[in-house]
Amino acid sequence: MKRLDISKLDVLSLMRYDACTRCGECTATCPTGGEAEDIELVTPRGKILRLRELYRRQHGLRATLLGPREISDAELKELAEKAYECTVCGQCKTVCPAHLDTIEMWENMREFLVANGLGPMPAHEQIVKSIENYDNPWMQPRTQRSRWSKRIEKEVKDALKEHCEVLYFVGCTAAYDPNIKDMAVDTARVLAKAKVDFGTLGNEEGCCGSTLLRTGLTEPARRMAEKNIALFERAASPVIVTSCSGCYKTLRQDYPRLGKLDARVVHATEFVLGLIESGRLTPEKRVEGKVTFHDPCHLGRHNGLYEQPRRILASIPGLELVEMDRNRAESRCCGAGGGVKTAFPELAQKISSLRVEDAERTGADILATSCPFCYQSLKATIEAKGSKLRMMDLMELVRLSCG
Amino acid sequence: MAEARYLKDRALLYVPVFSVLAILCAVILLLPYDTVYVRDRAYLSVFLVTMAACIAVFVVGTLANVLIWMRGRGLVGAPEGRLLRLSLRAVRSVFSLRIGRMAAVLTRDALYLSRLKERSVTRWLMHILILGGFLGTFALDLVVTFSLDFLRYGPMVSDTGWAKLWVRDFAFDFTGLMMLAGLCIAAVRRFVIRPKIVRTELPDAASILFLLAVVLGGFLLEGMGIAGRIPGHETEVQYSFVGYAFSLVMPSSAGQYYDQAWLVHGVMSALLIAYIPFSKLFHMIATPIAIEVDGLLAKEVPRT
Repeated sequence: MKRLDISKLDVLSLMRYDACTRCGECTATCPTGGEAEDIELVTPRGKILRLRELYRRQHGLRATLLGPREISDAELKELAEKAYECTVCGQCKTVCPAHLDTIEMWENMREFLVANGLGPMPAHEQIVKSIENYDNPWMQPRTQRSRWSKRIEKEVKDALKEHCEVLYFVGCTAAYDPNIKDMAVDTARVLAKAKVDFGTLGNEEGCCGSTLLRTGLTEPARRMAEKNIALFERAASPVIVTSCSGCYKTLRQDYPRLGKLDARVVHATEFVLGLIESGRLTPEKRVEGKVTFHDPCHLGRHNGLYEQPRRILASIPGLELVEMDRNRAESRCCGAGGGVKTAFPELAQKISSLRVEDAERTGADILATSCPFCYQSLKATIEAKGSKLRMMDLMELVRLSCG
Repeated sequence: MAEARYLKDRALLYVPVFSVLAILCAVILLLPYDTVYVRDRAYLSVFLVTMAACIAVFVVGTLANVLIWMRGRGLVGAPEGRLLRLSLRAVRSVFSLRIGRMAAVLTRDALYLSRLKERSVTRWLMHILILGGFLGTFALDLVVTFSLDFLRYGPMVSDTGWAKLWVRDFAFDFTGLMMLAGLCIAAVRRFVIRPKIVRTELPDAASILFLLAVVLGGFLLEGMGIAGRIPGHETEVQYSFVGYAFSLVMPSSAGQYYDQAWLVHGVMSALLIAYIPFSKLFHMIATPIAIEVDGLLAKEVPRT
């Protein structure tokens, strides 16, 4: 009989499974279980009740008195698959009346699934191999990581060779995806325009490990983190700026648990807003258009940065900001997070379509965001739907306005 | 060595817990009650035995649930040892400067249910009524049992005493009515309106119906007492305003079955206590603990 090893579930998570009141508040706003699929087991409540029921069969009072009961492979497989259909967007955490930290619960649940041989999904294994072999999830050679910087007029400093006040952590998606490279280019141009002394880790930069952590693969993630932390120590920059929300969450929240990180980690939106408000950067040129902002889950709900991007948009002359019905903490996920886009691309597209429809309803002509993953996902849906929306990164708008 | 440590941890947890439980049960069974609620002493004995057994089941069930939590990652040693250490830490926190913040969190998030109020006022009201009514009834029960059955406090015993009229009659009816109103909203919402987010399975239905049966049973019992003019229900009956309303639709002969009805109500109340750790009602215990411990344990449970 297969015995579930619950020693990989956190004490706090186990408490939270019992603290769930089954109210279902989370099911109404869950982008996957509640909206795109309408499958109870994918919803936070569904996952909690099912996992609790399974481990109680083997670890509950009855199991202690009468012996553990069988859990079929089909039940475990179904739970694992549905658990990986969650984008870990954290909407459930925002609405939970019992104040359950569901983000930690889902990430921990995936660690538990991996430890019990039930995760990750087969599609994720390719990413793991890619990260282990190439230091990025896109199967791209290390030597190509800094290629985007060739488009910058002024040479970008190598933070490992000369000291920089700011280390720009580019992230894999902006560094490799030809459609997203502009995000890195625009961020670098904006930093240069404000005369920020910045550099990058060049080809030495490794994947932050976000994808690994979100899919429950903590050990390979730890190795990536240790590698990057060693590079940060060598660079010794007091500030690390990331333009990717996933990297931001990982560096800011996860790295301190994995190793000693002396530098202050800030997202590009925070940093650039500081430059604008201190007068080091002035958005002067008009950028005509009606813009709506999509809050990336890792930036908003996971880190509480809601106003910074909006204040940047408000500082750009000519732009009119209109909000989607679901914004800030209530923002709908783009569908790409938590490894969903890799393992369940159709589901990711379904969720992304809902978000693009949210944006269309505002009458905006620009959909802006500040996460390469959200950008990639929403842009693909805009193109697939033939929407009139124009997908833009926040730094692109700043760059256009700052010249 | 590890085995000896494990046995020591188990002994340190189980010996005090079960000793306290045994003392509690002995107190329940052996104290010289002088109750006015039931006339037949045999019924009282059956109720006391049932209550002691149900409290034992409640403690064992709760302990089993908490020990499952203790098997998780983030702490070292046997689950029993972990629970002991965390319990001591919790006690220390209660007597530390953090108590103010802990009390504020408990009041705002676990008792006042702040976030639920933001999401839906109706559901907040429903929960506040049930939770407030349950806690109020439980507290009143303890106060009345001690002041009436043990201390024989005059104003609580006398038919026209202020404590009897306002605490035994009015306050009990008020908290019971709170629960009844909350449960009615919950029942209508769950069984009639059936919003999409509500999922009704046996544990959900059983919890509501069990609570409803106990609360309604209490009012029916009071109504029977008033209708039958049972001692303690003869004068100033309007203070028991809900029980009085029930008595209006009951024949005076209902009083003949008062003792039996009292036993049924008492046994059901005891069974409800025993049912808590095995039902969704356990969230009444787990949620406030999770909210408080979340802050307390954060540094002790590294996620990776």
